[in-house]
Amino acid sequence: MISLAKGQKIDLTKTNPGLTKIMVGLGWDTNKYDGGHAFDLDAVAFLVNKDGKADGDGAFIFYNNKQDPSGSVVYSGDNRTGEGVGDDESIKINLTGVPADVDKIAICINIHDADTRSQNFGQVSNAYVRVVNDETGAELMRYDLGEDYSVETGMVAAEIYRHSGEWKFNAVGSGFQGGLASLAATYGLSAS
Amino acid sequence: MINLQKGQKIDLTKTNPNLAKLMVGLGWDATENSGGGGGLLKNLLGGGSKTEIDCDASVLLLNDKGKLAKNENLVYFGNKTSPCGSIRHSGDNITGHGDGDDEQIQVDLNRIPKDVHRLVFVVNIYKCVDRKQHFGMIKNAFIRVVNSANNEELCKFNLSDNYAGKTALIAGEVYRHNNDWKFAALGEATTDPGLEALTRRYL
Repeated sequence: MISLAKGQKIDLTKTNPGLTKIMVGLGWDTNKYDGGHAFDLDAVAFLVNKDGKADGDGAFIFYNNKQDPSGSVVYSGDNRTGEGVGDDESIKINLTGVPADVDKIAICINIHDADTRSQNFGQVSNAYVRVVNDETGAELMRYDLGEDYSVETGMVAAEIYRHSGEWKFNAVGSGFQGGLASLAATYGLSAS
Repeated sequence: MINLQKGQKIDLTKTNPNLAKLMVGLGWDATENSGGGGGLLKNLLGGGSKTEIDCDASVLLLNDKGKLAKNENLVYFGNKTSPCGSIRHSGDNITGHGDGDDEQIQVDLNRIPKDVHRLVFVVNIYKCVDRKQHFGMIKNAFIRVVNSANNEELCKFNLSDNYAGKTALIAGEVYRHNNDWKFAALGEATTDPGLEALTRRYL
């Protein structure tokens, strides 16, 4: 079981030639105080080309676009409150099916409507994101969102990227503000 | 000195390994409308003296499951020292008059027993139901953490949300994380009518 630190890069396929499937799991608990809004965390993925851009809306996987055209990146569906034990949302990635022009897959977490609801990760109980080798169940990485990103409203959790014909993993762990529209813009997509 | 925003969590002992004793100060001011009634006519006739609003700060010493393991782990004006001796309450300020902290709680981190994982600092309005008072009548509420060794203010959280209609504040907590202590700026509020009802959430 590998446990990664923020910023750490590891090989995926070179040392694990059989590794083909990764699962990103996102979990949190419901709001325990009455009168506040529910906490709605969203897992999203961008399929990015070698110029650092997502090629069209099909390359942005989120609650309104649950699967990329190749079917290799699949989002579980939107959990709007954190109800349920364990991972509340997930994104599954089949590395062998990812199109050749996709150079990296960025995995991000965003609090829906964070600005209007005045929310940040620190207020959400037990919020975490983890990346698991879907075939062995080994957890590659887990971020405790509420502790280390308490004032953030979004973060780029990890990037899975091609390197000399293999796939590698970068435990990015960097926060961002401004919601999905602003994040999508950094990958060349305009809000719609 | 860090000014915290709601939800923010900061380290206390990891960057300050010598930090042993803290003073947690809580303060608030009454607004002009602290009266439970009377209103315009009362003020016009010079009756003006607002009903005092008596806020009480308390600390709940919780275990790793977020529960109050025994009643004595509630430190408040009627139980000013925790059984372990690590928490000491300064005493009851009945009117809120005066600048700075209205109530202070001394924390000796090294004496906190291993089974206590969280110190939750709460404020509730005494007799809020009888007096028809709520936190909409309070302004400038804050919680701050001071290093008792040198009086350096480590952080302060100004509770600036609109708490109208609420009668209990869960201001902040000092909690264990890995082998260190951290502080979380909570700023949540409930309509619990008194300390007993508020405490029941943790039983």
